Amino acid sequence: MNETIRACLENVRKPARYTGGEYNAIYKDKKDVDVRFAFCFPDIYEIGMSHLGSKILYGLLNSMDGVWCERAYAPFLDMEAEMRKRGQPLYALESGDPVGEFDILGFTLQYEMNYTGVLNMLDLAGVPLRSSQRTSLTPLVAAGGPCVYNVEPMADFFDLIMIGEGEEMWPEIVALYRRAREAGMDKQAFLREAAKIGGIYVPSLYDVIYTEDGRIASVTPKDTAPAVVKKRVVKDFDKSYYPDRFIVPSTEIVFDRAMVELFRGCRRGCRFCQAGYTYRPIRAKKPETLEKQAKALIASTGWDEVSLTSLSSSDYPHLETLCESLVDYFEPMHVSLALPSLRADSFNLDLVQNIQKVRKSGLTFAPEAGTQRLRDVINKNLREEDLLEACKVAFAAGYNGVKLYFMMGLPTETDEDLLGISQIVRHVIATFREYGKNKARGVRINVGISIFVPKAQTPFQWLGQISEEEAQRRKQILMDSLKIKNVTYSIHNYQTSFLEAVLARGDRKLSAVLVRAWQLGCRLDGWDENFNFEAWMQAFADCGIDPAFYANRELAWEDILPWEHISSGVTKRYLYSELEQAKKGIATPDCKAGCRNCGALSLTGGGRCDV
Amino acid sequence: MFKVRFCFEKRDTAAYLSHLDLMKCFQRSFVRAGIPVKYSQGFNPHIEMSVVVPLSTGYETVCDLCDLELTCDELPQGFVPSINGALPRGMRVLSAGKADRPVNQIGYCAYRITLPKGNENAMSALFDSPVLVEKRSKRGSREVDVRDYIRDLTFRTEGEKTVCTCILAAGNDPLNPMYLVKALKSAGLTPEDATAHYLRTGILDQNCQIFWE
Repeated sequence: MNETIRACLENVRKPARYTGGEYNAIYKDKKDVDVRFAFCFPDIYEIGMSHLGSKILYGLLNSMDGVWCERAYAPFLDMEAEMRKRGQPLYALESGDPVGEFDILGFTLQYEMNYTGVLNMLDLAGVPLRSSQRTSLTPLVAAGGPCVYNVEPMADFFDLIMIGEGEEMWPEIVALYRRAREAGMDKQAFLREAAKIGGIYVPSLYDVIYTEDGRIASVTPKDTAPAVVKKRVVKDFDKSYYPDRFIVPSTEIVFDRAMVELFRGCRRGCRFCQAGYTYRPIRAKKPETLEKQAKALIASTGWDEVSLTSLSSSDYPHLETLCESLVDYFEPMHVSLALPSLRADSFNLDLVQNIQKVRKSGLTFAPEAGTQRLRDVINKNLREEDLLEACKVAFAAGYNGVKLYFMMGLPTETDEDLLGISQIVRHVIATFREYGKNKARGVRINVGISIFVPKAQTPFQWLGQISEEEAQRRKQILMDSLKIKNVTYSIHNYQTSFLEAVLARGDRKLSAVLVRAWQLGCRLDGWDENFNFEAWMQAFADCGIDPAFYANRELAWEDILPWEHISSGVTKRYLYSELEQAKKGIATPDCKAGCRNCGALSLTGGGRCDV
Repeated sequence: MFKVRFCFEKRDTAAYLSHLDLMKCFQRSFVRAGIPVKYSQGFNPHIEMSVVVPLSTGYETVCDLCDLELTCDELPQGFVPSINGALPRGMRVLSAGKADRPVNQIGYCAYRITLPKGNENAMSALFDSPVLVEKRSKRGSREVDVRDYIRDLTFRTEGEKTVCTCILAAGNDPLNPMYLVKALKSAGLTPEDATAHYLRTGILDQNCQIFWE
């Protein structure tokens, strides 16, 4: 660490976030390295270090000869101020070298509220923001992650974008980069070659033309660019690269534990859920593979918890046998299992009690909507009886609290649906009064309510978000109805959700707004204490753009979607048929009941999903 | 059952670990190294250990001590190298043995403070008369004369820097070496925005002898 970094660290909170040196961090000798790669996470260390995808790609890239992948995270405000004051550019945690001098900067886009974080990190690195301003081959600025399914608002800033799973694309890009450097290719030539790689989206190779009223008139590919970039997936997920060691943070992070990934994709098809569509097809790992990976990770990290992750863990076909053998192995080592993303309708108390032998955690269920009608609309195929049954067995076994997640502002939502939320809560309390083991201790119900954000590549991508006025009215109904003893609730900030909706369905015109908002001081927008809505509105006004055009407008089948040239594999026709079913209030059975031909299997060349 | 005491250093990047971070890092490295640690009984079993004299975040040390309960009856073979293979960068165990001497016999700590070059004579002279600072502790804040806590204090030039070596009270009513720098800054002998670097060089008993080795 150089003297300037040390001086910065004197005056900041939690300096251990900015030092590197953690156990299992990878250090290479620079003379053995010909490709310097900076994995950039546009949020703070505690968030970025909790992210599984980063760990996989960090391990994968560092397993390649001659490639040194290092990490950079968004500094918190105090650190940013110190860095700017002392002229310290953004540096990679391992070497302390300025990120701007690296060959490739790879950003992950997890969440729309991180977008200004990308701009701020590029600026701190001394790298021009727009792809068009960076004329030499290096540094290449790339992105991947769940936001790529509509990445148009960020299109101007990246040279290339990975659509889908990076496990196969990154080695191909690194190989192409080496070839390009050797052949003395310029950046344009490199990008034309890159666009031929499956899953690689080069935004500058598409011309977007707008109609007079601001809609998209056409998107035209140039040169080698495909008309539609199709998501890349790992075909044999069971055998795909998985690190046997993770960096163990030396300071506290959000998810401070080992993780194994049960499966990718989800068979449920909740119509609001972007991940549920964009991670298809469903590919599971074998229990033996998971067991081996979990044991290796605990041995190499010393963590005391392993999380079995997926979009809906209780849907993993071998969950019980896997948990049993993991508990047998880990319990004597004081290592506990965590099983997030459980569904109330497949809740298995024995299983939960078994995995919580070492440490007992809370219970969380997500009914998402207050009435069966609305749950059918959003295809959350969970019945209230199932929820109450799960609560009944849990309460009878000694649990005395539950967290419930709902959304407001869902398509077709009525006041009755909103009141249904408090009714469910009352029924849960009644269930406790009847079956609770420790009635004297009382019950604690924690209700979290977020505001629906229509997302690209879902059946609800055509729909608008409710207006602020309407959101306030509905919020009041919830606040009035949830004043119940033993119940605490929190409702997401509308303004953040609104901005999320703007960016989630935005187009390239928003690049200018992002730059302007960043210039006005917006960054770390996902952190309520930093979120400055007035500055954002100022940025929209300065750019002459109406945010409601993106957030609240309903699109038609005929409209060209800003993300129409990006395919998650699931066809537009399938998504639209799901929207029509939603409008009729008809639920779609989950994929286990039979393949619905959504289109995702075309990515793996046929076969079937692991359901 | 064996209570081991080991001496460790924490330098460079590891200096920025807080006291709690440090404890967690050690616990995980014990697990990785396969050390037979003893877990507490109770609802949330934890490893029984203590870092003997906590150190402020950002300070380096070459002499800190940690006590740890083991389930075995003597110091395991290869204890030091196996932990050293499992620690983050900047941390290293130097020696280990029986935790025989009670920690309440600790009286002082020695530090080396590196400052921008200043007038060392004037710095020494500052401490010839009372030097009052607001000393904060868990029990609140009170005004003290730092000289009551100083056992030894010298300033000298080393290259482009001024180096202060000092022996300060530890134990029940300790003095953090930052108070010396605070005093120098308020006397105008060190620039207000200067960065000081702190290194703990010794944990000493009441007679200023090395407490444990």
